[in-house]
Amino acid sequence: MSKSLTRNLSHDELEKFGAEIEALRARTVADLGVRDARYIRNIFKTVRWTEVIGRAALMIGAFLPMPWMIGFWIVGALSLGLSKILDNMELGHNVIHGQFDWMGDPKFQGKSFEWDIVGTSDNWRKTHNFRHHTYTNIHGLDDDIGYGLLRLFPEQKWQPLALIQPIVAVFFALFFQWGVAIQNLPKGGYFGKHGPAARRELKLAGRKISHQLIKDYLIFPALAGPGFLVVLTGNLVANMLRNVWTYTIIFCGHFTTEVETFHRNVLKNETRAHWYWRQIRGSSNLAGGFVLNTLSGNLSHQIEHHLFPDVPANRYVEMAPAVRDICRRYGVHYNTGSLSKQFAQVIWRIVRHSFPSRPSRARVASLQS
Amino acid sequence: MTALTPSLPPTLAPGRSVRKRPSLLRRWAQPFVDPAVFDYWVAHINRLWTWDRALARVVERKEAAAGSVTLLLQPNRHWQGFTPGQHLNLSVEIEGRRVTRSYSLSDVPRPDGRLAVTVQQIDGGLMSTHLCTQTQVGDVLEIGPAFGDLVLPATLQGSYLLLAAGSGITPLMSMTRALAAQQMPVPLSLVYWVKTAEQACFVPELQALAERHPNFTFQLIATQQGGRRIDAEQLAPILAAAASGLHVLACGPGGFAAQARELLAARAASFKAEAFTPAVPLNTDSKHQVQVELRRSGRTLEVASGMSLLAALEAQGLRPQSGCRMGICHSCVCTKHEGLAEDMNTGERCSEPNSAIRICVSRACTDLSLDL
Repeated sequence: MSKSLTRNLSHDELEKFGAEIEALRARTVADLGVRDARYIRNIFKTVRWTEVIGRAALMIGAFLPMPWMIGFWIVGALSLGLSKILDNMELGHNVIHGQFDWMGDPKFQGKSFEWDIVGTSDNWRKTHNFRHHTYTNIHGLDDDIGYGLLRLFPEQKWQPLALIQPIVAVFFALFFQWGVAIQNLPKGGYFGKHGPAARRELKLAGRKISHQLIKDYLIFPALAGPGFLVVLTGNLVANMLRNVWTYTIIFCGHFTTEVETFHRNVLKNETRAHWYWRQIRGSSNLAGGFVLNTLSGNLSHQIEHHLFPDVPANRYVEMAPAVRDICRRYGVHYNTGSLSKQFAQVIWRIVRHSFPSRPSRARVASLQS
Repeated sequence: MTALTPSLPPTLAPGRSVRKRPSLLRRWAQPFVDPAVFDYWVAHINRLWTWDRALARVVERKEAAAGSVTLLLQPNRHWQGFTPGQHLNLSVEIEGRRVTRSYSLSDVPRPDGRLAVTVQQIDGGLMSTHLCTQTQVGDVLEIGPAFGDLVLPATLQGSYLLLAAGSGITPLMSMTRALAAQQMPVPLSLVYWVKTAEQACFVPELQALAERHPNFTFQLIATQQGGRRIDAEQLAPILAAAASGLHVLACGPGGFAAQARELLAARAASFKAEAFTPAVPLNTDSKHQVQVELRRSGRTLEVASGMSLLAALEAQGLRPQSGCRMGICHSCVCTKHEGLAEDMNTGERCSEPNSAIRICVSRACTDLSLDL
């Protein structure tokens, strides 16, 4: 990418811009109520029913003759996959952000919610809610830039291993939940000063992983008796469907062509308004309707999510036109496009930066502004 | 009866929630049960069934007096019982938000396990209005464990004086009924102040008890119909009649409790009072010191009300969990049990008990209690 599509703002302009974003937030928060509570409860119900339908279809399919078995297996895996996608994205990710804390319902408290994925929600709160959302797209601080596995920006150091990253990326997509769970664990330091805390974290992560494995690959398959393998493969496929889908959506949020990354210098005396500005420049949306919004956990509104991570996600679709209008007036590039267009750009990044690349001079300038 | 306003008295600290040891089956199943999922499915069979939450169904609703209703509640198996004089927290959802208030239990523990709560509708009271006008038989409410130490001692000696003002009657009514059930083993007097006689609850029952038990006297004082607010003259005959060891229990608004304490604390063998509105208007500006109770670590600290709670706690050498320090990541969220907190970004104030606050952007307007 060449020059930043966002024009520079004077200090006063930036403050006014930030005030408009905050006013939009205040308007939305003041209006929260029954509608939002009903929305998240309906999502919770959908997660429960699709899970039961999926597991039941797999279980019944295991005892049916051949063509029926395959039909039930496909329906079961799809339904269970859908359940896990909704649980992780529209329910879990949003609730863990504290979007529904205002309800006071213990079931939807960000601090205690646990989800159907191998990574623990505690760990996620640290690396995602805190590091990724505070230091969005800052090299060296936001681990989500390539997840320590992929080179997606020319500012990242090139190593020969990067040459095979298009293949690595495919495996990463298939096992994305494992990538996230492992990425978040402390890398060493298990015996030093913070050893006990690190070991405890490792132990909790191990417990969650074994819990998930026992549930999907032992208990439910065993309940099917002779149909053990039918259920096991169905669960495996459901988990992988979820993995590939979440990977696709998440990569489209920050790795499209026009997103910007930042040097850690930007943090020096960063104001709240600048933080908002950086969130928009570092995120990209997906244009779509209700189905895409729901299945992506409203990360189709990645920009709105990064501006308002703790506002209920079902509100992003209503806030988006206002955000877009503010961006237009302040000359901030609002990065959006169809899923296919945005994901094609992500794939291009993965391929392009597997080879050595250097940041363009214009880009370096914009990074340091 | 009335909601004990959330930000208040130290007597409202939850106590006595001694849990029974869970059964072997529960302990084995625990790791594989997500309570929210369990509750969702079993609620299709019976809305009172849960994994561990205490719920109660409204089984009867009747007018107690003008502007008051008594709700009879059938709790599920997770309710652990109470002692006369204690209260419980009731939670309902209003406009998508859970609202929790404390109410005294007005009856004695009943053989069928049902609980009676008398609610007086307060002007502008969110919860009391909801309970008085919206709540219907069949509704399910969430309940908390019984708490409070305005209770009768295990062994009764001397004579007892109960002073109630307004909705302060409910815990004292529960004690009166408990003593009546024991045939009034000790001399008991109940003085009950109300604004108008129409607002008084339980009067026919109290009069009947007074007729039946020579040991029990009951006096109703309506302050807007010629009666006087609590003073020494009213209490003089009772003090004179009590031969020895007068134990006083009072419940009412803050001003009433303070006045009762002044009149009687020095002259009675024991004095206990409970108030449900603060005695003095609260200072909520950002330039005073407040007490922050860290309930889990059992400490109380004095902090400046103008500082964010996170900064204030760190200044005292504590290291509560935190992250972005700007209110976005929710790492520092903790439960505020009681007290008034203000969001320093938006100026929004939160007095709702047991609500989640972000300590990095919240300051304490009044004394607070946190789950830290």
